[in-house]
Amino acid sequence: MTSENGSLLEIKNLKKHFPVGGGMFGSITGKKEFLKAVDGISLTIEPGTTYGLVGESGCGKSTTAKMVLMLEEPTDGEILFNGEDAINASKEAKRNYKSNVQAVFQDPWASLNPRMKVESIIAEPLQVNTSMTKSEIKTKVGEILEEVGLQQYQAGLYPHEFSGGQRQRIGVARSLALNPKLIVLDEPVSALDVSIRAQIMNLLMDLQKEHGLTYLLIAHHLATVRYMCDKMGVMYLGKLVEEATTDQLFDNPTHPYTQALIGAALPYHPDDQKEEMLLEGEVPSPINPPSCCSYSPLCPEPDPQCLENELITREVEPGHRTAHCALCADEYGCYWFPRER
Amino acid sequence: MASDSRIGDVVLEVKNLQTYFVTRWGITKAVDGVSFDLRKGETLGIVGESGSGKSVTVSSVMRLVPSPPGHIVGGEILLEGENLLDLDDNEMNKVRGDKIAMVLQDPMTALNPVFDIEDQVGEALKIHEGLKGPGLKETVIDMLRKVRIPAPDTRMKDFPHQLSGGMRQRVVGAIGISCNPSVLIADEPTTSLDATIQAQYLNLLRDLQEDTGVGIIFITHDFGIVAKMCDRVAVMYAGKIVEQGDVREIFNDPLHPYTEALIKSVPKMEENVERLYAIPGNPPNVTNRPSGCNFQPLCDKENLNPDCETLEPVLREESPGHWVAYCAACIDTHGCKWFPRAL
Repeated sequence: MTSENGSLLEIKNLKKHFPVGGGMFGSITGKKEFLKAVDGISLTIEPGTTYGLVGESGCGKSTTAKMVLMLEEPTDGEILFNGEDAINASKEAKRNYKSNVQAVFQDPWASLNPRMKVESIIAEPLQVNTSMTKSEIKTKVGEILEEVGLQQYQAGLYPHEFSGGQRQRIGVARSLALNPKLIVLDEPVSALDVSIRAQIMNLLMDLQKEHGLTYLLIAHHLATVRYMCDKMGVMYLGKLVEEATTDQLFDNPTHPYTQALIGAALPYHPDDQKEEMLLEGEVPSPINPPSCCSYSPLCPEPDPQCLENELITREVEPGHRTAHCALCADEYGCYWFPRER
Repeated sequence: MASDSRIGDVVLEVKNLQTYFVTRWGITKAVDGVSFDLRKGETLGIVGESGSGKSVTVSSVMRLVPSPPGHIVGGEILLEGENLLDLDDNEMNKVRGDKIAMVLQDPMTALNPVFDIEDQVGEALKIHEGLKGPGLKETVIDMLRKVRIPAPDTRMKDFPHQLSGGMRQRVVGAIGISCNPSVLIADEPTTSLDATIQAQYLNLLRDLQEDTGVGIIFITHDFGIVAKMCDRVAVMYAGKIVEQGDVREIFNDPLHPYTEALIKSVPKMEENVERLYAIPGNPPNVTNRPSGCNFQPLCDKENLNPDCETLEPVLREESPGHWVAYCAACIDTHGCKWFPRAL
């Protein structure tokens, strides 16, 4: 049961607008504004691969993840899982979707209930979603714990008895309990120590190979994305500005914002002092962002036309799409935007 | 780096610093015999994992360790030749914020939400420099301009919540440098910032250093920041420095296997690696630490030598300025023979 194009998850023109301000009667007085957290993104994820969404805080990557997890209802757009509409599905189908799509969260100190033993944390999804008996669940919990590199006896311990890396392993174990197809990894390593990050990333990649899992990875650290992902998308102000395979995107970043992100990444060696292209201004607020070129606040010399033209998406090479300003459609990305020359 | 003209005399020297916390579970030796120095215009990076004692080290230098439970039980902290541990609280207040200042990790908690920016940047200037009235205002505007706050004369009337994260951190930076200190301690100042804002802020710190010649101690867990900012690095593990030296030497030829493992476990953006090296095991609990080598919990059990349980590693100067902690059991080999190596 897969979709026509062989994708596991397909997102079409997904939007999430949060109403802000305007007071109680905002919608009547017309003062209500909308924070466009996610403003029309489309992407497809093939089974067994990892898709990375990168961007800075406030760009909408976590809101996208929440919508995929059905923790947030989209304002508009479609989510197709195995080619079937997941948003307007029956109650039973939604339940099935939710057990097939699991999550690993950023902060393993906040995402585990301190009053629950590890076995109850991992067993909870099984108790709710399956008809397994107590002893079956117990065996299953033991198996999963060993799979993520913990020991069976640790099932009887509480989260505070573990270190950060071990807690994140418990988080991974919980997400595996229902044999999901897709796991949303929301910054799975950024709260961990540097030496532990590699352990968790390797674990996630081993599990992917073993179970044929599909990952949607939300991250801001570019090197993490390069290591883990097959395909990636760069988000800026609720929009996907560039999408390509990981190698294409790092070897040939075409959008100036992507170039700025890569330029701002820290060097891995003191001799690797690259030419920096620094953004001067700050990212505009997603509440009523400029109608077209949302980069204009970052631009040293925006053209008045920048505010009028529409953004168009163009395929630079097969599988590599970039959002272009219609004004300077000949250039990659935006002509006025500061870029490496 | 000795040939570098911007680096001058030693301004801060820490000798055998020991800070212990006495708790009901036992004594935690958070900092256990740490020595380093800092020159004018130089940036020293202190790298380590959480719990390695890097933050307690600099809190001890600032004399900001809460007591009880914390006690600085030994060592010397010489700031321009003056031992800070001999000063009483009043004298220390005069040094703190004036000769030695600190930039904290989270700008939202470092700034007071009920005072405007002008008050907070001006506070240290009022106390240490005795400025007031228009002179004070002028200097505050000047400081905000230095950290590139746009329209500083109107922005200084804002409260912290009205500023973005990057601007808030720049205000904290302005407070830090307001009295022209000789040492600035930056405790993970960019962890809460976005990548592009982080790059802006790090460049700003470097420009400020060029202008004022301030010596910066950079606490971080990120080797990327070390590569970008630091002249020298000290790697801390379980309350001790395990390797210290010039940044290029450490990156090109790390002598201690732990340093090597830390550098190798970070993914690179520039190339696609098949599999990352992961340090096995977890760091030791620093409360009631077992005797002997601190790296025992990370080592393969079958490799452990009886000497590992009794002998403590000793620091040795391998080449000028490059110090490494050697296991006394395997003093002839580089670092520890038993530590799992990344190959």
